[in-house]
Amino acid sequence: MWEREIEMHQSLSISPINWQELEAIAGAESVKTLEQADPKWSQAIARAMGAGLQPPQAIVFPDSAEKLAEVMTCAYKQGWRVLPCGAGSKLTWGGLIQAADLLVSTARLNRLIDHAIGDLTITAEAGVRFADLQHQLAQANQFLALDPAFAEQATLGGIVATADTGSLRQRYGGVRDMLLGISFVRADGLIAKAGGRVVKNVAGYDLMKLFTGSYGTLGIVTQMTFRVYPQSEASESVLVQGEVAALEQVRSTVLRSGLTPIAMDWLSPPLASQLTDAATTVPALLLKFQAIAPSVTLQVQRVKELAQSLQLAAIGLTGDLETQLWQQLQTHLAAANQPDQTICKVGVLPASATLWFQQLERLAPKGFGQIHAASGLGRLVFTEPVEANLLLTLRRFCQEHNGFLTVLQATPAIKQQLDPWGDVGTALSVMQLVKRQFDPNGVLSPGRFVGGI
Amino acid sequence: MLAPEKNATQRNWQPIIQEFITVLGEKGVVRRKEELLVYECDGLTSYRNRPALVVFPRSTEEVSQAIKICARHQLPFVARGSGTGLSGGALPEDDSVLIVTSRMNRILNIDLENQQVVVQPGVINNWVTQAVSGAGFYYAPDPSSQIICSIGGNVAENSGGVHCLKYGVTTNHVLGLKLVLPTGGIVDVGGSLPEMPGYDLTGLFVGSEGTLGIATEITLKILKTAESIKVLLADFTSVEAAGATVSDIIGAGIIPGGMEMMDNLSINAVEDVVQTGCYPRDAAAVLLVEVDGLAIEAEENARRVEALCYQNGARNVQMATDPEARLTLWKGRKAAFAAMGKMAPDYYVQDGVIPRTKLEYVLGEITKLGEQFGYYVANVFHAGDGNLHPLVLYDNAQPGALEQVEALGGEILKLCVKVGGSISGEHGIGADKRCYMPEMFSETDLETMQWVRQVFDPDRIANPTKIFPTPRTCGEAARSHAAEQFKEIERF
Repeated sequence: MWEREIEMHQSLSISPINWQELEAIAGAESVKTLEQADPKWSQAIARAMGAGLQPPQAIVFPDSAEKLAEVMTCAYKQGWRVLPCGAGSKLTWGGLIQAADLLVSTARLNRLIDHAIGDLTITAEAGVRFADLQHQLAQANQFLALDPAFAEQATLGGIVATADTGSLRQRYGGVRDMLLGISFVRADGLIAKAGGRVVKNVAGYDLMKLFTGSYGTLGIVTQMTFRVYPQSEASESVLVQGEVAALEQVRSTVLRSGLTPIAMDWLSPPLASQLTDAATTVPALLLKFQAIAPSVTLQVQRVKELAQSLQLAAIGLTGDLETQLWQQLQTHLAAANQPDQTICKVGVLPASATLWFQQLERLAPKGFGQIHAASGLGRLVFTEPVEANLLLTLRRFCQEHNGFLTVLQATPAIKQQLDPWGDVGTALSVMQLVKRQFDPNGVLSPGRFVGGI
Repeated sequence: MLAPEKNATQRNWQPIIQEFITVLGEKGVVRRKEELLVYECDGLTSYRNRPALVVFPRSTEEVSQAIKICARHQLPFVARGSGTGLSGGALPEDDSVLIVTSRMNRILNIDLENQQVVVQPGVINNWVTQAVSGAGFYYAPDPSSQIICSIGGNVAENSGGVHCLKYGVTTNHVLGLKLVLPTGGIVDVGGSLPEMPGYDLTGLFVGSEGTLGIATEITLKILKTAESIKVLLADFTSVEAAGATVSDIIGAGIIPGGMEMMDNLSINAVEDVVQTGCYPRDAAAVLLVEVDGLAIEAEENARRVEALCYQNGARNVQMATDPEARLTLWKGRKAAFAAMGKMAPDYYVQDGVIPRTKLEYVLGEITKLGEQFGYYVANVFHAGDGNLHPLVLYDNAQPGALEQVEALGGEILKLCVKVGGSISGEHGIGADKRCYMPEMFSETDLETMQWVRQVFDPDRIANPTKIFPTPRTCGEAARSHAAEQFKEIERF
């Protein structure tokens, strides 16, 4: 058992939810019990909180930022512990929630505010679904350069709260690099904002970075502005397989060349096997190129030549095949409706990726592992039950290579046996002070974040 | 949540100076009036204030010791790198200690395999690229002052540059920081990877303008140099045509490495000084576009950009590929600020951001404002990301000129906010623009930002009067009139 700092959360006396007050604020149809809303909420909460704790008494779906602010003002006065969420697809991610009286969902804050096509920005409310936003952007041949888990269900707010993206980090960076402005409701119910709607802006503190990946512990983001990118005219991916040492040479050569893959991922043998329908015992490198057509053709050709010179197999994929392959990869790394999957976010120094795969092969040969070759960030997924000790051993290895292992999704039993976040070093005390300043009563997502925050 | 202003006090500095000397040595402490003179201002020379003391730590530990002395005596301190900032971020506070990082100028680690470099804050921006260029890498953010500005200063201001359109500004290239907090405590934030568990304090710190502490070790991401770079210079007979070309280039899905525009006044200023011969004096605007990537891609995109320039009525498009020719085309733009010195005894530079689609309207309004106030305004513009640098030409020897010019600058900033932009794109708020923060942000917004400051610096000793408006620096009026003026427009 590991120790948490939970006194802060436990010191509050529980206040029963006042339904009439909530209904007066948000409208009667917007306040429900979890069962009334959808059975999925109760299931998710059971895993997010663990056994023996009271589930939230109600879920509220405000349809405007002002109503959400009023709900929060009310919660602040009554001392209700609040668990913010969007569509609930990642509600189980992070540490076990220590207490929650009320779920506040942004799902009905789903208006598109402004797509400034010529300025390459889009402003939308937090409950807008990622898939809907991409659809909107595609009509102008643009896209949001993120590839989050559960892309069909996930809302923008949830993606920001969990800083969740994937392979596109290679070219475009993370959620932190896309977010230009936010509006949010504070724990005390006041609405505040930071940043703006333009792509370059240094006025005031960068609260966008602070809120990105803060797991609903500092406030509830209601509106956000993202940088977007034009779609490229051509796309092709290459899957390279063979001996690890030779693959490492591919990685190193590509990163030192003028080639500009928008994604380059290491995939563990079981993951590579799933994608190719052919059993393999070695990792693979999956690269994606998007640019003008002649550039894509040339880059793919250069990778294939490089692979050939190193006796590696290289398969090019375009069109539907390419789209399907990347979708499959996403599904294997976070499948909706598979709560038994253990999902970890991992990081190691990029040049240590091959060592990491060796370690994985030795300790957990069935693990689905993905490491983004340039950043060293990635995913580790187990579809079968795992021991907490295995995760701790892998975490130690990641930490020895300047990285981390965060257990995003796992059974409550596992999360009780280890700290899902691990050690965050000397900055923890500052993080705890930030939390206390933004949420002095500790009512927002108590227990979900690092160090028991 | 605003702390009461600290008045300058009659301190007995002698024992305090002794404490600094004990920690930093005789050479690490400057206190003679003549020596303090050069530290009275940064790149914003119209604001001056003499520090009580200037200190030069050489290590994280020495910075920590120095800050602990400040904390013990409740002395405000201001961090300074090379002093090239343009918003008065390093302007000394009353009765303050200036902590200069110029002796912390070592590159601590170069890790090409993992594409990162660890530097001390006094390392000059350009040195980073020089240190890794042999291996084919570079550090992307390139402020115009890159041959003298320090990485510590870049981190404090979240500096941009002419190439940040495609590759981002400082915050997109900082992986981790070692920080000395305003209490003297030392913490590590971030690390060797772009995301680590916990709050993103690295992202919060970058751009905090010296108000949250001093970064003493900075881990930077380096990028691979592009295989091919091409620069195009197009000249237009109207600003509108140049603006339309910018929109068309972005609309065609091309993201240039950099895209810069200069107006007629700027063109003539640089031709007077550097005589490039390639900036036509009778052009209403020139557009500089740099495209990079694989040779095949740079070539194709250059060809497309050229075609778009001509489609929009460009008179002539010059193209350069080899480094020397590219430098010639860039030379005028790089010299733009300096050239203003020849046009007028003084110039005042602004740093507003606008949605790039509003360019035509905003430039028209700026011209009108210039006429109204009776000053010439030259415009240099990071066109790709909407970052406008209006340069107001004036003579500081004329009584009242600076006040008028500042008022004109303020009107320009309000205009930027009105069209949905920002009061600073890359220079920071500092001392210069703090009174305009309420144009963009509500009292609640500013209070929430101050929460962050409260966490890092509960005693308000780190650059205490910067960024945020205070009644003393801005007067009560600055606090509320924004809400009245732009009721209809969401101030975001």
